[in-house]
Amino acid sequence: MASARSWRARRFRRGVAGLALAAVAVAACAPPDRSAEVAAIIKGLDNPFFQAMGQGIEDGATGPVTVQAAQSTADTTGQADKLSAVAVQGFGCYIINPISGTNLVQSLSLIAKQGKPVINIDSPVNAEAARLAGATLASYVGTDNTHAGQVAGDFLAGRLPAGAKVALIGGTAGDVTSRARLDGFRAAVDGKLTVSQTVDVNEWSRSEALTRAEEIMRANPDLAGFFVANDDMGLGVSRAVQNAGKSDQVRVVSVDGVEDGLRAVKSGQLAATVAQYPYTIGEMGVEACRAAAAGHTLPATVNAPVALVTQDNAADALSAFPKPFEQYDDPYRQLLQQ
Amino acid sequence: MAEAVAVGADRESLGGRLRDIGFWADWAAVIGLVALVIVFGLASPSFLTLGNIQAMLVSAAILIVLAVGQTFVIATSGIDLSIASIMTFGAVVLGLLYAAGWPILLACLVGVVAAGLAGVINGTLVAKGRIPDFVVTLGMFSAASGAALILSDGKPTQVVDGFLLALASGSVGPFGYFIVVAAVVVVVAHVALFHTRFGVHVLATGGNAEGARAMGIRTGRVRLAVYLISGVLAGVGAILLVSRVGAAEPAINTTYLLNAIAAVVLGGVSLQGGRGNILGPVVGALLLTALTNGLTLLGISQYYQPLAVGVVVVMAALLMRYQR
Amino acid sequence: MTQQSGTAVLSTEATADALLVATGISKSFGNVRALQDVSVWLPRGQITALIGDNGAGKSTLVRVLSGVHPADEGSLTFDGSPVRFASPEDARTAGIETVHQNLALIDDLTVWQNLFLNRELVRGFGPLSFLDRKRMQEQAEKMLSRLSVNVPPIRSKVRRLSGGQRQAVAISRAAGWGSKLVIMDEPTAALGVQETARVEELVKGLRADGMTVLLISHNFDQVMRLADQVWVMRAGRLAAGRRTQDTDGEELVGLVTGAITS
Repeated sequence: MASARSWRARRFRRGVAGLALAAVAVAACAPPDRSAEVAAIIKGLDNPFFQAMGQGIEDGATGPVTVQAAQSTADTTGQADKLSAVAVQGFGCYIINPISGTNLVQSLSLIAKQGKPVINIDSPVNAEAARLAGATLASYVGTDNTHAGQVAGDFLAGRLPAGAKVALIGGTAGDVTSRARLDGFRAAVDGKLTVSQTVDVNEWSRSEALTRAEEIMRANPDLAGFFVANDDMGLGVSRAVQNAGKSDQVRVVSVDGVEDGLRAVKSGQLAATVAQYPYTIGEMGVEACRAAAAGHTLPATVNAPVALVTQDNAADALSAFPKPFEQYDDPYRQLLQQ
Repeated sequence: MAEAVAVGADRESLGGRLRDIGFWADWAAVIGLVALVIVFGLASPSFLTLGNIQAMLVSAAILIVLAVGQTFVIATSGIDLSIASIMTFGAVVLGLLYAAGWPILLACLVGVVAAGLAGVINGTLVAKGRIPDFVVTLGMFSAASGAALILSDGKPTQVVDGFLLALASGSVGPFGYFIVVAAVVVVVAHVALFHTRFGVHVLATGGNAEGARAMGIRTGRVRLAVYLISGVLAGVGAILLVSRVGAAEPAINTTYLLNAIAAVVLGGVSLQGGRGNILGPVVGALLLTALTNGLTLLGISQYYQPLAVGVVVVMAALLMRYQR
Repeated sequence: MTQQSGTAVLSTEATADALLVATGISKSFGNVRALQDVSVWLPRGQITALIGDNGAGKSTLVRVLSGVHPADEGSLTFDGSPVRFASPEDARTAGIETVHQNLALIDDLTVWQNLFLNRELVRGFGPLSFLDRKRMQEQAEKMLSRLSVNVPPIRSKVRRLSGGQRQAVAISRAAGWGSKLVIMDEPTAALGVQETARVEELVKGLRADGMTVLLISHNFDQVMRLADQVWVMRAGRLAAGRRTQDTDGEELVGLVTGAITS
């Protein structure tokens, strides 16, 4: 019985090995040249912000482009696996939007050996970790999230009486973007408004943001405003404000400028949103790849446009969406036009 | 009589065995992996390159370590829903100690010990508190991720350290250190399950706890031990995780929990307990990794990836019903 | 109306060579008095049956004898010396093995693994001791070779065995460890006619090897076929004792139901 079993296992193993060899042989026949193509690994597509970014990358590309995203914004290793997977395919240029400052570093060291340019968009790679892993980045383009938070803070401080109570709602605890936006807002309203409390919402969940906002309003009947770290949660919070019948009393300001957010500003549900342009960030990322391929030296850091959208200019912002409605600097395009 | 029939079946021709659904059920994970390798190998020329195989093995390593821990628990008919959050907790402990200036090896050790302690709490509540595994570990799932958030104040801790960086990118010949670590875990676990008294007692506890107790096996201790193993391996996973992503992050990655259980199920380990097997879950983990990797190489949207994993797991579970 | 039996009554005074003597055993669970002043003894090298209706106290008595529940009152003497069992391990160490009705077999382990369950043979020291599979399999063959019929293959999983084969494994395990007394709880309750006959052969074989057996059974024909003496329990008390040669099925039924008192 035992020998029959091991015989069976042996036969089976031999079969497996044979099939695997056959597949290797087939694979070896046709290695496609992807050195003129661009691969992009972004944070996730479960959010309009990253969907717009992906769209910008695809629209901005003049040739074939592969866009892959992590499973969720907590999927740090999954994103690293995806970058490793595309790295072995030998693309000509890589665009990355890492979930954390360090999660892609090890995969980046693989690309560093190929000497291909890597464009870092949106969330920055930790410089120290990149240096230790021997990874080099050709250029960084992204929004200064602290600045975006400041713009929101200045706006709300200008609209509310001095010392008015506001509450802050951030995204996933520990998320760098959320933290930067909240820090910027706090710095801008310091001494002007009173921050009653700050809560973080796991996975940037809209429904959880709604629940938290209801609780905060119950605890602070005199609350005058919310600063919410993205539009999606901002819409949940504005729903909570409506449900509480406090639309006239509580103003909601968020960051992102996604289409739903702009519409909500136009209709007055949101007092304002600080629009960032993920579409443009994606587009600029591909332009950077093209500029690198053309042999240009890329600027180390490029700031993507930011615009305050209020009821006054929401219609303009919507009609230009997903592109900015105001003029902005694009150093990569200038390089390409030289 | 039954045995005579079974022995006859073993001597059947290859064709006969291929028609026997039990054969497919016993080898479900291996067959699935081979099928995926063939399909992806044909569809994407990059799939079977050395670089990609190395990348897949590295990315499978954490899952393999967790799946092995989960296997011990499931073999006793328990389930550890807290394994991914204990890993996060261990990672945060490691990160904070490193940030506080501890030597990296000591920080790693204490991280593993902390994860092991969380496992001991699970085991004690299950064994002594007589609370169902599902409830205890669901509670620990929340508690451990809460502890990680509290300790870290919700902030990721950068762990940029030469040793961990070498662990993540160094290799012995073609095999990265991650693969070596996973292989050591697998071999030790296999020996423990099949060549020690403890392993027999694990299977006996899962197969028939009352019977095992009647034979004098201290099933409470066995349960405690499997949760300790699961916790310690989550701690080992934490070291790999921190070294891979270069930071200790308090956000938990539930994909690891679901995939660890899926790998065990794919590997033919019954959730009812009593049937254990280490190599099956390892193949299951490789299968899940190859699935995601292949879909990525083919440029298929990640929207389809959870769906694909779900379909594969449910199909395997269906096939498992015909196991002999 | 009750008959009075004469000389056939078995005394609760144990003979000198009794293997196990239980004297004045009482056991209560809360307000329920499960056993009251029960005294029985088991003759060495013979089969003793324990019969009685459901709830008569048979199972409780077995649990006291096998160390599962310590008695509230009364004393046990085993193999000539007074004993006190705090756990099943104590009883097992003393040489009392119990074959429970559910057999305590692990379906997904092999026959030899079940035979050596919690008595695994190992090589090596401390944490580095590994199962000595070869030696266990060899010894398992020997343990089972005593069964003239119904020998299950030792490498097969218990799940694949027939009811009689499972019973044979459980009994062989109980008898195979230098034990002096094997207690069997309804060993043939779930078996067909043929398998029952085989298990009865096996029990007789144990007696032929000099083993003392305590058999709990509902089947009076079986008791008459197998046992040398019988204890009858009723409502938590010992109702009667008989040598099987001095009684018949009809009287046993009467003793169990209370139609006959001794």
